[in-house]
Amino acid sequence: MSESDAFRVFDIQRFSIYDGPGIRTTVFLAGCALRCGWCQNPEAFRGEHATVLRPDAVMAEVLKDLDYYTVSGGGLTVSGGEPLLHIAPVQALLTAAKRHGLHTCVQTSGAVSQAHLAAVLDLVDLFQFDLKHMNSARHKQLTGAGTERIHGNARFLRDQGATVQFRMPLLPGINDDAENLERTADFLLGHGAADLRLVPYHRLYVDKYAALDLTPGLPALVPPTAQDLQRATERLAARGLAVAVDG
Amino acid sequence: MSALHPKNAAHKAALLGAEHWLCMERARYYTESHRESAGLHPSLRAARAMQRVFEKMTVRIEPDELLVGNRSSQLIAPPIAPERGDFTFIFGHLMEELKEFGYRISPSDERVLRDEIIPYWQGKTVRDAKIAAFQRHGLSSPLNVSPREIRRKLRTFGVGALVRLVVEQEDEGDHLDLVARLPRLLRAVRAGSGDNLKGRGRCTDTQAHIVLGHKNVLRLGFSGIDAAARARRKSAKTDAERAFLDSVELSCEAMRAFSERFAVAALAQVGATSDPERRAELDAIADICTRVPWLPPQTFAEALQAIWFTQNAAIISYGAGSGITPGRVDQLLFPYYQADLAGGTLTRAHALRLVEEFIIKLNNNVIIWPNIGGVRLNHLGSDVENITLGGVGADGEDATNALTMLFMEAITNTNLATTASFRVSKHSPKDFVRQVVAIHRETNSPAFLNDETAIQAMVRDGYRLEDAREYCLVGCVEPSGNGDTYGATGGSKVYFPTALDMVFNRGKTSFFGNQDGKDTGDPTRMGTFAAFLAAFYTQLESLVGWVTDATNLRDTIWAENFHNPLISSTIDGCIHHAEDMTQGGATYNFGAVGGGGLGTVVDSLAAIRTFVYEEKSVTMAELRDALASNFRGRAALRKRLLTGPRFGNDLHPVDELARELVARFCAMVSARKTACGGHFKASLISYGLNVYEGALEPATPDGRMAGEPLSNSMSPSNGAERRGPTATLNSLARIDHTHIGYGNSLNMRLPVGVLKSEKGIESVAHLVHAYFHKGGFHVQFNAVDSATLRAAQARPQDYADLIVRVSGYSAYFTRLGRRIQDDIIGRTEFETST
Repeated sequence: MSESDAFRVFDIQRFSIYDGPGIRTTVFLAGCALRCGWCQNPEAFRGEHATVLRPDAVMAEVLKDLDYYTVSGGGLTVSGGEPLLHIAPVQALLTAAKRHGLHTCVQTSGAVSQAHLAAVLDLVDLFQFDLKHMNSARHKQLTGAGTERIHGNARFLRDQGATVQFRMPLLPGINDDAENLERTADFLLGHGAADLRLVPYHRLYVDKYAALDLTPGLPALVPPTAQDLQRATERLAARGLAVAVDG
Repeated sequence: MSALHPKNAAHKAALLGAEHWLCMERARYYTESHRESAGLHPSLRAARAMQRVFEKMTVRIEPDELLVGNRSSQLIAPPIAPERGDFTFIFGHLMEELKEFGYRISPSDERVLRDEIIPYWQGKTVRDAKIAAFQRHGLSSPLNVSPREIRRKLRTFGVGALVRLVVEQEDEGDHLDLVARLPRLLRAVRAGSGDNLKGRGRCTDTQAHIVLGHKNVLRLGFSGIDAAARARRKSAKTDAERAFLDSVELSCEAMRAFSERFAVAALAQVGATSDPERRAELDAIADICTRVPWLPPQTFAEALQAIWFTQNAAIISYGAGSGITPGRVDQLLFPYYQADLAGGTLTRAHALRLVEEFIIKLNNNVIIWPNIGGVRLNHLGSDVENITLGGVGADGEDATNALTMLFMEAITNTNLATTASFRVSKHSPKDFVRQVVAIHRETNSPAFLNDETAIQAMVRDGYRLEDAREYCLVGCVEPSGNGDTYGATGGSKVYFPTALDMVFNRGKTSFFGNQDGKDTGDPTRMGTFAAFLAAFYTQLESLVGWVTDATNLRDTIWAENFHNPLISSTIDGCIHHAEDMTQGGATYNFGAVGGGGLGTVVDSLAAIRTFVYEEKSVTMAELRDALASNFRGRAALRKRLLTGPRFGNDLHPVDELARELVARFCAMVSARKTACGGHFKASLISYGLNVYEGALEPATPDGRMAGEPLSNSMSPSNGAERRGPTATLNSLARIDHTHIGYGNSLNMRLPVGVLKSEKGIESVAHLVHAYFHKGGFHVQFNAVDSATLRAAQARPQDYADLIVRVSGYSAYFTRLGRRIQDDIIGRTEFETST
């Protein structure tokens, strides 16, 4: 088995219910071009915490829950890290999933080469696409990269007619200010997007860093309160967006 | 959802706040009559005795009650049936414990109990006859060990094991208390061990566990049943047949007289009440009680009252702890509901109030068996009167109706430990399961049952398809016929780990030390896992043989001496056959054998296969010695065993052990015939007793210490589930559930917070649908997180109405004993991605 046929998997999570429609199995792949200071999967940065697996081995695990996908309209979600960094095995996994009739979802940061997006375009039913901050300089400060390539990829997916669901991690004091929310709305409406999923920041990841002997890029934040969420939701809704808050 | 009706809120508060009493009325009047009826046919003796009870027992109408029918002289006081022997055993040996638990008894009742009831029944009870029969047939395995030996066993098993047999010790470290009570408790254990079967099997004194024939009472009234008995008497051929039919007539008359006493009591209260609204209610009660259950009901209120009267009288006649089941209440009541609504004589709101009150009354029952619950009064609702809701009708079409939903609302509003079974079929309304899941935000009552699997199992066991479709859940989750079956679904049980213990000890059980079974050879010389497994099945076959033989001996005692013509009169077949239900009069007859500790034993077998036969990293001799010493000085070995593969994680080789074990166990059980000509059916249910079931089991090869709980029902061992709910359901679904005629239960803790979102609720509903699609029979969820449970342990007063389901029945968490609480907390919480 050559490295290019396999990928580094740091978790396979069954009964995922907040990563796309229905009941899903989420495959977490190591490797990411961004270093978000609140990243809840720091294992993704460190390949040694992952297992090298071939797509068919991963698929065998995914197919164990076929009955649950059938009943619920769920399927496979590929997440990370950034799952589209090493494209060949992901392409193979998604091809196998489609062959079994599964709904497929890819959670991407958008910080990948456009060719990689193009390579899986026909295999993905839903892209979940993260918008972290609209200001490129601030984005670079928070994640290590600017927004240019990310936004370009968002346009590419729109132009290609892909189904895209935008998600935004809601980080109190970081990206929930009025200006960023308005600019996020501008961006979405400019893309013809009608909805946004807010993913409230949580602190459950903090212990993971300690266990990995890593330090998060940002000190732990205070999670958003119900009022914070309501305020952000109302501001976005006022712009005509349908806002859902993930559990 | 609506709020609980204020009057029902008061009924609920009264129930939760009531003192628990021991009332001797039922015991005393039954005994009085029995003393006078020597020589008569047992059906007539029972009918006369119950006639005496119903004539003389206290009749109570509680403030603002609309449904009437009390069980004893106090609001909470379970009816005592001394003829069974279980009560007299408890009163004879454990009265002090009962009082410590908070039960009260009046000095005069205690005198009657001591001077009249216990002496009269000495040597005459089912229990006495049963123990004698077991001994005669060489089925007993008594605790014949010296005090020194008991002390040694106590050390090996942990100090609590013996005590836990009888009572639950709140704090095992409380040695002073323990020392003070030990002599008394040991005497009780010794006396109690008379009914200990070879191989630790259990065969209770009672049978029951029956769905009443409410359908016949509603259709005919007791007047119609009486007429049917009279008509049948004309063609009766023997004195015995005539005696049974005469006893039915007496029972019907007794029911009429009993309900009329309530009419009189209601009218007497009218005079003493100034509130015009209450006066009107009491007038209505009096009217209803003069009609039903003697005549067939004409209205919804009458039908519900008829069901409650019949339910209540049946429980008084059989005594508490008998699993007397109302059955498909939404189906029974729907025609009356529909007609009254159409006629404008009933509103939905009033029906809801009545059903709420009915649900509260169903929760007014307790089992007097100290170790069922905890240290303090704890077990409201424990004598499960399971109600069955939804599912298909006799024609195979969906029968879910407006009353199904109304009951669902009443269960939510009352938020008590109601045991409710929701039948789900392919034809159920699309949203039905999701709606029932949503109830978990308010209360923890519902269980899900799969119609397709249950009906297939019933047909396999000999039911006509139309009858199978009418199945009801008895006790915890046992599917049984709707008023046409005498099936005694609970009470007889074997424990799978015992068979394993007997392989290691060549036919002896560790705790009792008797050579109960065959010597299957030296385990250290079993060269292959297949040879070890064969020895295990040899031992299991013996366990099943002993418990079915014992059950047939017990059932013969009931058939010869202790009839129940009142209940029999409602059951299809008894009048036609002119025979009591205990004699096989019902249309369908079965027996039950439960299997306990599946997860524990499957994990143990998997560990033996992995470590002894595959890796060869542990020798069988090491393992045997480690188990015998409860891992003393062998912590490293135990640690290794704990890393073994576990049932419940979607691991084929482990699941295959479980599949084969269940299939072979069910085949062994089904092959045995009952005393009434039917066959035995298997179940995998632990009634919440798995904590106690583990008390006398030695250490097991899965790393479980001696005396620790066994796995519950068909669930994986506590803490074994590591791959989430879909993996667990896949493991369970590899087993063919249609062979498990008396059901199995899977208790699953819902992920913390999953019910907060619509997506979460929908996903839980999808789990149920997928599991049932794969052939699963039952699943129920507990939706509280461990932090909440720990907080409830610390501040029970703040969590008085926190409900959990313990293996089939619901219970108040704070009223459970500490060990069961810890056991529930120990259940794995599944994580979901967020």
